[in-house]
Amino acid sequence: MSAVREIEYRDALREAMSEEMRRDKRVFLLGEEVAEYNGAYKISRGMLDEFGARRVIDTPISESGFAGLAIGAAMMGLKPVVEFMSWSFSLVAADPILNNAPKMLYMSGGQFGCPVVFRGNDGAGGQLGSTHSWCVEGLYSNVPGIKIAIPSNPYDAKGLLKTAIRGSDPVFFLESERMLGNKGEVPEEEYLIPFGQAKVIRSGTDCTLASWGRPVHFCMEAAEEMQKLGISCEVIDLRTVRPLDIGTVVRSVKKTGACVVVDQSWSFGSPGSELASQVHRHCFDDLDNYVHRVHSADVPTPYATNLEQEYLPNARKIAEAVRSATYNL
Amino acid sequence: MPINVTMPRLSDTMEQGTVVKWHVKVGDKVASGQVIADIETDKATMEQAVFDEGIIAKLVCPEGKQVKVGDVIAVLAEDGESVSDAASSSGAAPATRGAASAAPAANAAAAPSATSTAARTIVADVHATDVTSGDRMRVSPLARRMASEMGVELSQVQGSGPGGRVVKRDVLLAAENRSAAVPATRGAQTAANDLVAATPSMIPAAAASAGALVHGAQSIEVPVSNMRGIIAKRLVESKQQIPHYQVTMKFSMDAVLALRGSLNEQLASMEVKLSVNDFIVRACALAMAKNPFFNASWAGDRILLHQQVNVGVAIALPEEKGGGLVVGVVKDANLKSLRQISGEIRSLGEKARTKGLSMDEMSGATFTISNLGMFGVDNFTAIINPPNSAILACGAALEQPVVRNHQLVVGWEMAATLSLDHRVIDGAMASKYLQSLKQFVEGPTMLLV
Repeated sequence: MSAVREIEYRDALREAMSEEMRRDKRVFLLGEEVAEYNGAYKISRGMLDEFGARRVIDTPISESGFAGLAIGAAMMGLKPVVEFMSWSFSLVAADPILNNAPKMLYMSGGQFGCPVVFRGNDGAGGQLGSTHSWCVEGLYSNVPGIKIAIPSNPYDAKGLLKTAIRGSDPVFFLESERMLGNKGEVPEEEYLIPFGQAKVIRSGTDCTLASWGRPVHFCMEAAEEMQKLGISCEVIDLRTVRPLDIGTVVRSVKKTGACVVVDQSWSFGSPGSELASQVHRHCFDDLDNYVHRVHSADVPTPYATNLEQEYLPNARKIAEAVRSATYNL
Repeated sequence: MPINVTMPRLSDTMEQGTVVKWHVKVGDKVASGQVIADIETDKATMEQAVFDEGIIAKLVCPEGKQVKVGDVIAVLAEDGESVSDAASSSGAAPATRGAASAAPAANAAAAPSATSTAARTIVADVHATDVTSGDRMRVSPLARRMASEMGVELSQVQGSGPGGRVVKRDVLLAAENRSAAVPATRGAQTAANDLVAATPSMIPAAAASAGALVHGAQSIEVPVSNMRGIIAKRLVESKQQIPHYQVTMKFSMDAVLALRGSLNEQLASMEVKLSVNDFIVRACALAMAKNPFFNASWAGDRILLHQQVNVGVAIALPEEKGGGLVVGVVKDANLKSLRQISGEIRSLGEKARTKGLSMDEMSGATFTISNLGMFGVDNFTAIINPPNSAILACGAALEQPVVRNHQLVVGWEMAATLSLDHRVIDGAMASKYLQSLKQFVEGPTMLLV
């Protein structure tokens, strides 16, 4: 056996889709530029050649239309994967994706499921301005009936996307333009990662850092910094926020007594606030301080590089929160 | 630019201070000269005024927390400046200072926040509000649970978190101190030896553990205030370094009581009420002027004779203010009338018990009087208040059988005991001073001129 190969996040996504399309003829991909152009971000490179235009479909710029089409297809037994070039563009498709997909099974009394995967870039891509930098998990995680995966690395991206495609419920799969080129170890062999299983990616004793998606990397940087001060951080990558693996976080906080939640979305009514609230509930007698939270600033995303940097969660802010949470300020 | 309000140096020996109470909260407008906090120094609790006007943007130092002189305790936003910007831009605790300044863009990022009410980060926001709330004992849930599991009495744990919150490490420390104290009983003698050998600055800590050692696990720990710490340190220094001895004399108080009665009757309409102590202060001051070595300090290789007669008066503080005592000073007491002395002592006492004395009002005593007469004490000895060379401990004026003109009669008598620094004052000199004092007390009309 050779050493485990390293591939990019975008390649991991493509492998997941391609493998599932080979495995199940019902699976197909649609979205803007996914076919002829090989994907706006080259995620679907080569897929048109392999699967043909019936299964890799270029759509017009009409999110509401093709999201609705996919939901209809899913209701009728197909397994569509919809690529949003950016989750920011999904806002115009709010009615089908929030008002139809997640409620279909319930409202039809179990007659129609809706096994559709919506995926695309989420969060600030880098100077895309206020309207194109949405972290939609802040809004969408509020809705019952959907699953939300926000993988932070190629390995999780592949394993979670395969699970998403095989599942029978609508899944919002949130990727990040800033991580598409990130490389990571991904084995050749097939594997799936179940939803709702957080991963402790660094163990520690003094403070629990809980995050998902891109900020997980900032948490690791901060944890490294804190180690120099003698503060030992345990970092947990939640991987999916719906379902939320509260158990892993609770076990950690019961050990550390301190918790910092890092969530790239805005703080008011966010997955971060939900997680913090659940930790307060389950770990009330174990907490030495209130659960600290690091979010994007409560302002529209700035365009200027330096402001955008400062707007987003970063290692410095996380480190500051850890010091405060552990009374080391 | 935001203005940092720092922990002031309120005395020469002050290195740290504690904000006992904030009189302002975030968002309050303050004017130059306005008192914003009560600050406990190594000597006393004093009012702290601001020198600038503006709006309180952040209270950096929580009540009860001791910080170093020069550390930022609060941040003021200047006129027209945003309070949240000022709060986030400066006044961070020392550990965060470097981090905060590394990101000058921080303020700018908050600028476009037209609708934003939340602070830039949750962390910064919450700190400001931590400081302002009430007096309830704060304990983190974890600390509470651990204390109950480990049998640590929370009321005896001093909190190190924001606003004095008791946190995990405080409970662990308390438990550790307790377990360290229990097995130490076998070595009580050793510990006592250590105590003697300890340097003065180590005394409070050593004394504290010695206390726990005597009383065992059942003892109750009382946290030591700044003032208690400084009383302990200074008096141990005094007792260890000054060769104390005592000389006692009895004074007939008939004449002074008669004079006091008659003066008070005449001065009643002016709301003047002279106390026995006022007469003693004046008498001591006049006797000092006649006996210059009683107005002196030992300075290692020489003796300093002070050219100003300043009499310190020990003032006990009420228990609800944390107890302890301070010394208020009547300056130039030999040049002041009884009525002046009386007025000064009264206002010093009131201020000490309410707002606290200023450093000036507590500085410069060259001799000290401690009077427990009002508590019915017959006689006692006091510890010299360095750098004084003597202290007079006065008991109560008591009605008792006395011999006057070979007759047994009933008269008023008071015993007073001088504690003296033998390096400066010998026994004969002490007797001579007491003779002078006796002349003034027993012939009190001399005190009027």
